[in-house]
Amino acid sequence: MILIYIAASLLISGILFFNKVTIVRKILVLLFLLMQIIFTAYEFTHKGLTEFNFFKADALAILMLITLTIISIPALLHSYDYIYKEQDNRRARSIYYVAMIMLIMALSAAYLSSHIAVTWIFVELTTLSASALIFHRRNAGSIEATWKYIFVCSISLVFVFIGILFLSLALGDTNQETLHYETLIELAPNLNQFWLRLSFIFIFTGFTAKLGLVPMYTAGIDAKDKAPTPAAALFSSVLMNVGFVGVFRFYEIISHNPLHQWANHVIMISAFLSIFIATVYMLKVKNIKRMLAYSSIEHMGVIMLGLAAGGIGYYAAILHIILHSFAKSALFFQIGHIYKTYKTKNTYYIGNYFKYNISGAIFMLIAFICVTGMPPSGLFISEFYIFKALFQANYLYLLIPLLILLTFIFWALGRNFLKILFTPPVDFDESCIEKVNSYETLSQYILMGLVIYLGLNPPVFFNDLIQEAIKNLI
Amino acid sequence: MINILLIVFTMSLLFFAIGNRLMTYVKILALQGVLLFGIAFYGLIESNLATLIIILLETIIVKAIAIPLFLRYVIIKNNITREAEPYLPNFVSLIIVTLIIAATFMVSNVIHDIHNHKIYFVVALSALFSGLYFMSTRKKIITHVICYVLIENGVFILSLAVGKEMPMLVNLGVLFDVFVSVFLLGIFINKVGDVLQDTDVSQLSNLKD
Amino acid sequence: MLSFVLIILVSFVFTGIVIRTKSLASGRKGPGVFQPMKDILRLFKKGAVYSETTSIIFQIAPSIYFASIIMAILVLPFGHYKGIISFSYDFVFFAYVLAMGKFFNIISALDTGSSFEGMGASREALFSMLAEPAFFILMGSLALLTGHTSFQEIFMTFHFGSYTSYAIGTLATFVLIIICMIENSRMPIDDPKTHLELTMMHEVMILDNSGFDLGLILHGTNMKFALYGALIANLFMGNLPLYYSIPLFIFIQSLFAVVVGLLESFSARFRMSHNAQFILVLSSVSLLVFFSVLMVMGKFN
Repeated sequence: MILIYIAASLLISGILFFNKVTIVRKILVLLFLLMQIIFTAYEFTHKGLTEFNFFKADALAILMLITLTIISIPALLHSYDYIYKEQDNRRARSIYYVAMIMLIMALSAAYLSSHIAVTWIFVELTTLSASALIFHRRNAGSIEATWKYIFVCSISLVFVFIGILFLSLALGDTNQETLHYETLIELAPNLNQFWLRLSFIFIFTGFTAKLGLVPMYTAGIDAKDKAPTPAAALFSSVLMNVGFVGVFRFYEIISHNPLHQWANHVIMISAFLSIFIATVYMLKVKNIKRMLAYSSIEHMGVIMLGLAAGGIGYYAAILHIILHSFAKSALFFQIGHIYKTYKTKNTYYIGNYFKYNISGAIFMLIAFICVTGMPPSGLFISEFYIFKALFQANYLYLLIPLLILLTFIFWALGRNFLKILFTPPVDFDESCIEKVNSYETLSQYILMGLVIYLGLNPPVFFNDLIQEAIKNLI
Repeated sequence: MINILLIVFTMSLLFFAIGNRLMTYVKILALQGVLLFGIAFYGLIESNLATLIIILLETIIVKAIAIPLFLRYVIIKNNITREAEPYLPNFVSLIIVTLIIAATFMVSNVIHDIHNHKIYFVVALSALFSGLYFMSTRKKIITHVICYVLIENGVFILSLAVGKEMPMLVNLGVLFDVFVSVFLLGIFINKVGDVLQDTDVSQLSNLKD
Repeated sequence: MLSFVLIILVSFVFTGIVIRTKSLASGRKGPGVFQPMKDILRLFKKGAVYSETTSIIFQIAPSIYFASIIMAILVLPFGHYKGIISFSYDFVFFAYVLAMGKFFNIISALDTGSSFEGMGASREALFSMLAEPAFFILMGSLALLTGHTSFQEIFMTFHFGSYTSYAIGTLATFVLIIICMIENSRMPIDDPKTHLELTMMHEVMILDNSGFDLGLILHGTNMKFALYGALIANLFMGNLPLYYSIPLFIFIQSLFAVVVGLLESFSARFRMSHNAQFILVLSSVSLLVFFSVLMVMGKFN
């Protein structure tokens, strides 16, 4: 099935690239969405199935795949709305759709791959397709963002590759089979510690470019700022998840080795620094998209702290990353509408949103409550579990500054969101305002509803999948 | 024989440090491609034929011919000035690269379980670190691409030292990715040149908080 | 004794071959190979003119320079035949006896009080100084590799036929050729044919020398070429019997001369500021030789 899926995606993007008829393009994109849904359903019903020796539908992969599919539907549908209103040429439009489909395909394959090097290949593919999306507008800002993104990600992936080489040194004798995650977990207790240490450092550093942690987080910020909003929604949710999957699978290996505690400390340092940097910038930035990008970095930091704390933190980390994906992508979709109304991303010139778009404004209010982790948001539940895990693992000295930083972030987000909603904007001309249909907010409500529902009342199969995903962690 | 090729490879890093022109850099990359061909040939001669052929084609066609020619095309098409314009004088670069080589030599002596492949390690790590160094001290963005290829060459040597058993698929994937990245970067430079009229890193520093 | 005679003989024709190669490469017929020697003989027949401002230093310096080169030749072996003088660490003696000659050349240039000559002297001093570590690291690694410390023993043991010795020999040849070009102020560093005093190094130093003294200095250059050629040839001769080694020696020397000629024809002179870093590359390369020797020796494991 996965081979058919990859081949069909490639075929669809090939036709899209050369196609000039609008209706054909619409049909092809819908066809891809249908296939994505069928593929997800197939993998969900065939849990544990190994395909082509390199792909395995394990619990984590299925969870991430479902998240991806749910988010990709509104992303592609919003793209219609987004792209056609813009004065861009047909060539750029086809490249946009091709890149979008390639990105979704590469993400699915990267989640499912059960071999560390295959993951690497597909993560590299996400870099290439993502850079085509960032480049969509073809102005000086997007050029700079694309350049930085390609460059930082390429270097990071070289680091990951070096890490893989060191990992095979840690194994002693290498052959193709031993680089499967499952084999690696079995062999983990006997790995050479020196090389495993180096390998972890390199692979972790490399994946932080995707995951959005210190030290390589910079590229992602510019990318989310300059990409079209549907693409930015994918970048800040499912593309970050691919970094998480990469780190998580390696963390599973190292948790069976005596180096487990050391790895926890490395992750904690990186995660805490990320939260700190995110706080500092969120207090300062005026660009609403960049602010949300920094908020993603803060959430990733919290997730990695949960992973490092252990115990209930494992469960909470997975729950949090899925809920965060829904919340953040929905917010980015809405930011697209806000940008359409005000033609600016600077909060200084945005305000009184209730007056222009009531459904969108109510959504923004709910989103503010959800994304800062206030009840009834699901993110509240997961963040609470993470704090509990940190407390139980005796990281009180980490927990207290963390809570203080989160308070600052709460204040920064609140100030900007409430300004958008209630304060009148500076010299804003109401005459040329573009009316936004309220049905366009529907997808955001659904996604945010998922955030609340999954947190308060998780379905049994969802809980089971999360529990199964973390069963390898001690 | 491999040792000689590896030493010549390291020497090419030194000449990279004092090179003044972009074309010199491109020529050094082509030379490194040929050297990698030799290294891969002697290193992998006992492994199976298909792997050998793929690797040799990768080094000789992609690394030694296609990438240098493509970079040359990009440089000429965009009228990029021929001088490399480093931030630091070449003299300092040379000393730093020498120090990097000496340091990697010392470091690899501390590590105990790589007796057979020590020289590979020294060369690969020096290529990696000098590549990062050159990248941070050159002004043009085309030199960043060149340094990226330099780093990739270092990683290639490292992968020769570590795994002769890396599966075919992985090799193909690596080859494909490197190929695509370089070409994408190159095409991208064309676009940068179209929009900004000057392909200089200083043009690309507007996005910040 | 053999090496001394051979080097002197080669020195008579060396520059001739270089000049002949350059003429052929640029499409001219060129003078015969003995022409430079004939010029020098003509100079020997003349008397010298000394400026009134100069002291005794200026008058004795060319002779000391020439003598220092002769001394250096004395320690060079020929394959496994010792040179006339041979003792442990004679390569240090070799380097510093040459340096002493150069030193006298420099102070005689300063003695004339001409600003041009001072400038040339300072450049020559700087570049020789930068080339010195390269020579010592190279000889040091050869000494480490063979475990001996005199020229004759080093070269005798060095040639044990494994490919590493050839590799190191090749690298050493490269370093020695460039050192030789620097010491003689030839092409990539300095252009002997240049006509502007501001860009000269060696030529501007000897502007005031004339007649016999000038002849000595010019022939000194020829002998230095032959000297370094002999060093390179020694790297490859080892224990060969005489009926192989003498033709090999002549062949390597002529090849060296041709290489020098080709280098001069096809390379352009560096900008003065690039010279220093180019010369420092030599030190780095010899450091590489040193590292590879360490690795071959299995030291540092």
